[in-house]
Amino acid sequence: MAGSVFVETPPRDAEIVVVGGGVAGMSTALFLARAGRDVVLLERGVPWGVASGANAGTLSLQVKRAEVLDLCKLSLDVWRRFGAEMDVDVGFGQPGGLRVATTDAEVAHLREYSDEQRGGGLEFEWLEGNQLRDMAPWLSTGVRAATFCSGDAYASPLLAGGSLIAAVAKAGGRIVGHAEVTGLSRENGAYRIETTKGATRAKILIITAGPWSGGLARMLGVALPIYVDVNMLSITESAPKLLDRVITHIGGILSLKQLPNGTILIGGGWQGRGRFAGMEKFADHVRLGQNLTTAVSVVPDLAKLRLVRTWAGYEAVAPDALPAFGRLPGTDDAYIAAAARGGFTFGPAQGLLMSEMILGQPPSTPIGRFDPARLLTGAHA
Amino acid sequence: MRETDLVIVGAGAAGLSAASEAAKHGLSVTVLDDNLLPGGQYFRRLPTSYRHTKETVFDKERARADALYATTGQKGVTYLNDAVVWEAPEDGVLAFARGADSGRIRAKLTIIASGAHDRPAPFPGWTLPGVVTAGGLQNLLKGQRVIPGRRAVVAGNGPLVLLVGATLARAGAELREVVEAAPILKRLAGSIADLLAMPKIVRQAADYRLAIMKSGAKLRTGWTVIEARGANELEEVVLAPIDEAGKVNRSRSRTVKADLLVVGFGLMPSIEMVRLMDCKLEWKPLRGGWVPVRGANFETSRPGVLAVGDGAGIGGVEMALREGKLAGVIAAERLGKLSRDQAASLKAPIQSEIAKVETFRRGLERLYAMPPAFLDLLTPETIVCRCEDVTAGELRARQDAGFGSTAALKGTTRTTMGRCQGRNCLRTLLALIAQASGQPIDQVMMPRPRLPARLVTIGDLLQEELPPIEMPKDPHLPRGEQVS
Repeated sequence: MAGSVFVETPPRDAEIVVVGGGVAGMSTALFLARAGRDVVLLERGVPWGVASGANAGTLSLQVKRAEVLDLCKLSLDVWRRFGAEMDVDVGFGQPGGLRVATTDAEVAHLREYSDEQRGGGLEFEWLEGNQLRDMAPWLSTGVRAATFCSGDAYASPLLAGGSLIAAVAKAGGRIVGHAEVTGLSRENGAYRIETTKGATRAKILIITAGPWSGGLARMLGVALPIYVDVNMLSITESAPKLLDRVITHIGGILSLKQLPNGTILIGGGWQGRGRFAGMEKFADHVRLGQNLTTAVSVVPDLAKLRLVRTWAGYEAVAPDALPAFGRLPGTDDAYIAAAARGGFTFGPAQGLLMSEMILGQPPSTPIGRFDPARLLTGAHA
Repeated sequence: MRETDLVIVGAGAAGLSAASEAAKHGLSVTVLDDNLLPGGQYFRRLPTSYRHTKETVFDKERARADALYATTGQKGVTYLNDAVVWEAPEDGVLAFARGADSGRIRAKLTIIASGAHDRPAPFPGWTLPGVVTAGGLQNLLKGQRVIPGRRAVVAGNGPLVLLVGATLARAGAELREVVEAAPILKRLAGSIADLLAMPKIVRQAADYRLAIMKSGAKLRTGWTVIEARGANELEEVVLAPIDEAGKVNRSRSRTVKADLLVVGFGLMPSIEMVRLMDCKLEWKPLRGGWVPVRGANFETSRPGVLAVGDGAGIGGVEMALREGKLAGVIAAERLGKLSRDQAASLKAPIQSEIAKVETFRRGLERLYAMPPAFLDLLTPETIVCRCEDVTAGELRARQDAGFGSTAALKGTTRTTMGRCQGRNCLRTLLALIAQASGQPIDQVMMPRPRLPARLVTIGDLLQEELPPIEMPKDPHLPRGEQVS
C-alpha cells in the first residue's frame, strides 16, 4: 500500500534481522536504523500487538530490584528522550511515584526495601502522617507510610506503539508484520530465517520476541527457560483529576495511575486465566475483585468510578526475573533481549544497549549480569 | 450467592414474556434488568410518580404493556431492576452490579433477552447537539414525554422512521420532513403478500403515514440525510435522493431548517453478554449484523444459554413477545415442569404465530434492504468514535500507513475503547476496514470481548465476598507457566 510504514514481505537479504515487534525490538531497530544500519524487523502478528500494547505503562524506579536500578534509570532517560529529543511521542509523564504500605509488617518491609535501594543509589522521601496527606490527600487513611520517588514515570503503551513504528520506518528500518519465524539456521556464515512470508538471510540476528524468544533460541540449539505471566489490567471511565502520582504497593500487588485523558489504569500483576498456547487469556473474576479491592483500599474514591474494560496481557519473565540480554551462548552473531520483569520499562534501554553492542560501542551501563548464559539449561550449539 | 431455576437478562418484551410463561409453569425465575422500570425499550413508560392527561400514541399499547409489567409481581418471579449484568464468571453463574445488592446468581438455565441499540450512522454533523437516534428519541418521548427540539426532520431506513415521525407529529412537534432511504412504495407490490401475514401492523404503518401527511410534513422515500449543519447546535439538515445501489445524488440535495434531526438506520442486537459467554456468532445483516447462532429451542452454542428477542437478531416487538413466551415453555419443559406432550401443545400455537411474524419480517426486509451508504458521506473531519474523538480522516490516514487491522487501528487511535465500549463506532470501524481491505465485513476481525459487558461502578463490584488477599513472596519472580 502506498505510504505504508510496513513492508509486505521480508527482503532476501538484510544485515540485521530483529525478530519481535514489541518495545525491545522496536527500540533496537530504531537505534540501529538511526545509526545507518540495514535493519529488518519481523513480527509474527500485528506489530506492537501483544505485551507492549497491553501493559500498564508504569515506569517505576522504586519497584525495581537494586541490581536493575542502573538499567532502569537509563531506560527512563531513553523514554524521556524519545519525546524530548527524538520526536517520538510515547506519552511520557514523570509525576513521581508513591509506594504505599498499609500494615506494620508492610511499613517494616518498605523501610528495609527502600534502604536497600538507597544503597543502590536511588533517592527517596519517606512520608507518613500529615506529610503524606499533604502530598496525596486522596490516599486512604489506611495507608500508613509511603516512599516518594520523583523519578517514577509512565508512558502510554498505545501511543508509544504507533510512534515507535513510524520512527523506525522513517529511519529506514523495514518492518514486516504477520511474518512468523518458522525456522532458524546457520548457512554460509549468515542466518537463514524462514518465515510464513518467505525466507530471508541476515548477518546478525536479534531475538526480542518476549515469550516466543525461548522457542526461537531453541531453533539455534539454545535452551533458555522463560515463563509467562498473564497480568490483568483494568481501566476506568474518564474522571476529573483524582490522583496525580504513580502509585505502587510494597506488596507488589497494585499499580495505579491517572492518564492525561482522565482514565485511571489499575494493575498490579494479578493473574488472569488462560494458556500461552493458542493465546487464550481472560480476566479472572475473583482476582479482579481482589485487585479492585486493593485499589479502593488505597484510593477510596475509585469506588465511585465506573469500570470500562478489563484485559489480560502477557509478560515473559526469566526464572530470576532479570533481563536475558546479550549474545546467545555458543552463537556467532545471534543476540537476545527478553524476559525482564518489567520488560516495557526496560525496552528502550535494551534497544540502546543492543545497538551499542552491535555497533561496537561501550555500553551505557554495565550489562554483564544479564548475560543469557546464566540461564542455560541444556546443550547449546 | 442467589439461586434460581431460570435467570433472564433483560425485562423487555422478550424477557418478561419468558418470565411470565416460565413462572406460570412453576419455575422460580429471576429477571435482571438495567433499567429502573420494566418494559425495555418498546414498552418504556413514564416514571410512576409522573402524571399525564394527554392521550399519546403509546397509550394504544397500554393493555399489552400492563400485562407485561404485571409479570414483575407474578408468583415465582423475582425482578431485580437497576441490575447490570457484567460477566458470566462460570457456567450457570452471572455476576451483576446493583449497588449494595450486587453479587452473583446461579441458575439451571439462562435466557439472554438483551435487546438492541441504534446502529451508528455517521455523516458530517451527526454529533451536533440536536441530532438524536430514533431509539434515543423514543426513550425521551416514552420515558419523559420530552421532545428535544421544535422543528423536526426524521431520516433513516426501516419501520422505526414512520413510527418516530407519527409520534412526533402527534406529540406536537413541528414536523418538517420524514425521509426513508429505501424506495419502499416502489417495492410494496413485491412485499405486500408477506406483509399481510400481520395485517394489524400494516394498518398501523398506514396510520403512521397518514398522521405524518396530515401534520403537513413532507414524506419522501428514496431520500436520505447527507449532512447536519450548525454552529454549535443543529440549524439545518441536508437531504438528498439515494438510489437502490446506495448512491447519493448530491446535485438534487435540499436544505431544511430544523433544530431536531432524528436518525434511524436500524437497530443492532446487543451481543455483549453472548460474546463474553463465548457463544458462537453468525453474520445476519438483515437481522442487524452479528447474532448468536441458535439451535432448536433458542439454545446458543453454550449449553443452557438461550437467546431470544432483538438481542438474538432484530425481529421487532411482535417477534420478541412470542419468542419470549416460547422460551418460557422450553425452559419449563427442560426443567421438568412440563411433559413433552404438554410442552408440544403449548408450543404449537406460538410457533405458528412466530411463522407469521417471520413471513412478515421477510416482506419487511425486502422492503427496506439497502446497501449502507455512510462511508461515502464521511469527510476527513467526520467523527467516527465519539467517545475518543477519532475522525474518519485520522482512521483513513492510519489505514494508509499500514495500520489496517482492527487491533492496529484500535491501538493507534483508541477507536472503540471509550465509555460506549464501541457501541457507537465498532460497526463503522469494521465497515472502514472491510472497504479498505476488500474483505466482506463478516471477515473483519472483531475485537476480543472484554468484561465488563456494560460499565459498572467499581464499588458495586466489591460487594462480593472474596478470599483473603495473599501477598506474593517475591513479586518479581514469575507466576505463570513455563513456555520454553
